[in-house]
Amino acid sequence: MTNTAADILALTTTLKMAAITTVILLVIGTPLAWCLANMKSRFKVVFEAIVALPLVLPPTVLGFYLLLAFSPQSLPGQLWQTATGSQLAFSFSAIVIGSVFYSLPFVVQPLQKAFEQLGEQYLEAAAMLGAGPLDRFFSIVFPLTKASFITAAALGFAHTVGEFGVVLMIGGNIPGETRVLSIALFDHVEAFNYSNAHVLSAGLLVSSLILLSSVYLLGGKFNRRSVAKKVLKS
Amino acid sequence: MTENLVSTAAVKTPILGVSIDIAFEHFNLAINHSIELSGIVGIFGQSGSGKSTLLRIIAGLEKCANGKVSIENRVLQDNVSNTFIKPENREIGLIFQDNRLFPHLNVYENLAYAVKRTPQGKLSIEQVLELTQLAELKYQDVTSLSGGEKQRVSLARALLAEPRLLLLDEPFSALDKKTKAHMLQIVKKIQQQLNIPMLYISHSISELQFIAKQLIIMSSGKIDYIAPTHQAIHRLNNIDDIAVKTSLSLSIAEHLADFGLTRLSFADTSNSVYLPLLEHDSKQSDIGQLLPCIIYARDISISTTKPEHSSIVNQLAGNISEINQGATSAIIIVQCSQQKFYAQISLWSATRMELAIDLPVYIQFKANAVHSFHLTEPTNHA
Repeated sequence: MTNTAADILALTTTLKMAAITTVILLVIGTPLAWCLANMKSRFKVVFEAIVALPLVLPPTVLGFYLLLAFSPQSLPGQLWQTATGSQLAFSFSAIVIGSVFYSLPFVVQPLQKAFEQLGEQYLEAAAMLGAGPLDRFFSIVFPLTKASFITAAALGFAHTVGEFGVVLMIGGNIPGETRVLSIALFDHVEAFNYSNAHVLSAGLLVSSLILLSSVYLLGGKFNRRSVAKKVLKS
Repeated sequence: MTENLVSTAAVKTPILGVSIDIAFEHFNLAINHSIELSGIVGIFGQSGSGKSTLLRIIAGLEKCANGKVSIENRVLQDNVSNTFIKPENREIGLIFQDNRLFPHLNVYENLAYAVKRTPQGKLSIEQVLELTQLAELKYQDVTSLSGGEKQRVSLARALLAEPRLLLLDEPFSALDKKTKAHMLQIVKKIQQQLNIPMLYISHSISELQFIAKQLIIMSSGKIDYIAPTHQAIHRLNNIDDIAVKTSLSLSIAEHLADFGLTRLSFADTSNSVYLPLLEHDSKQSDIGQLLPCIIYARDISISTTKPEHSSIVNQLAGNISEINQGATSAIIIVQCSQQKFYAQISLWSATRMELAIDLPVYIQFKANAVHSFHLTEPTNHA
């Protein structure tokens, strides 16, 4: 396989991993953020700290523990093997699960902040008009915090694309399976293949810049609108 | 169009049963009452008296509430039988002080939100827009509305959910007096047309006096008493920090535009009371309507002889029925036929004039001492 073909394969693997991770993160991150936003227990800070851990831990620490958990000798790894018939460590599923842990705070934190800011007032009003909990979420919470959902999804996606340490620890370097862009880049540099390294680095840099700019642009637009509404309301 | 909404069937007055005893951080709420939900029942209390909490409990928004709440035979919550009907299933409407219109929806969409969740609803958005005088604002962004308009949308939205009981938590306290008067008229009219029982909270006695037939008086988490409005207001006269006043309803007799006065008449005597000219239409269609008014005791003076050379327009003859001496002034209660008037005069005057029970006296007060939210419908709603 030529270097370019290998890099394109790494790109598709990366995009697939980031997209699946983002979807999973939105599905589990939203209720988690909701619970944290409405939690009144004094242990709330502990849960918040757990969610925030990946922000400060070296990814290799997270990767190391996940590797232990995913090995066929440990319970999670065994359960996975019985359920799917294949090994979890060094698989595409492993790097998706790793990414979910690794990018969790990037999705949960903006959502939690948005839910906290939204408060109870509109939800109470909706309840008095006959809207049940799920109805209230989709008719009130989601439209009013759309900007934060976009931010959360984009940050989760971008951060997953940029992941290196966790993937290296639990995924290895299997083309088409676990070889993602950051690892392909590392390989090129190890092999003194700087021209390919440049292509990947510059590509990641520019696409991340574009993604983040569009997030801030969109977020700004939504926020300005909701701020204007709040000001007018009072 | 709205005439056919009037319920002609004699509806039995529903009874709201509240039996709760909850300790909150700053006060205890202990209530054990049956409240007859006829027309608009006002709830008066100083801030911190627990009136908002009581409404939130009835609405189902206070989950920790310990006790029992029921309307007629329907138990809304009861911690003995472990019942708790969620707010969305209680068929109770609540209008908040801060309107809480959904900012991402326009006027029409805010109203449609309620309609969509009221499958058995009989009212149409068009009907309610007309009742609340909102037709022209139908597609406006709710954030661009004025305070009074926002509360009208909030009222319209609550009505469209067709509640069996509508709770209003100081809905108009942030509005200026004129807008408030207009809103009070709208609420009063809608109550009569749709026949929805309402519980209306306010810390303004004059607002409640205008809108409610019955008053619930609350203080420090308890219901002190429930009484017809004028009677309840007169009982409040015994409380130190509330201005002593006479509360009464008189019928509008004539508008004297040339003199800038409106004349009100008593039902049982030929006496009249004059007040500054009320806004009225050219047909004077409000003649005969009952106008609730308030006269502060500090604005009423007493004379033992008929004041023949006075500029003061209101002069009524009566007899002293009660004298309550305070530290510096005295409250003299004067019975003029069926109506009691409360006058506040200095102790010095009371002593000098040798006032005594049963003494015949004349009470006097200026036209602009008579306060009221005027009744007349504004002819255009712009």
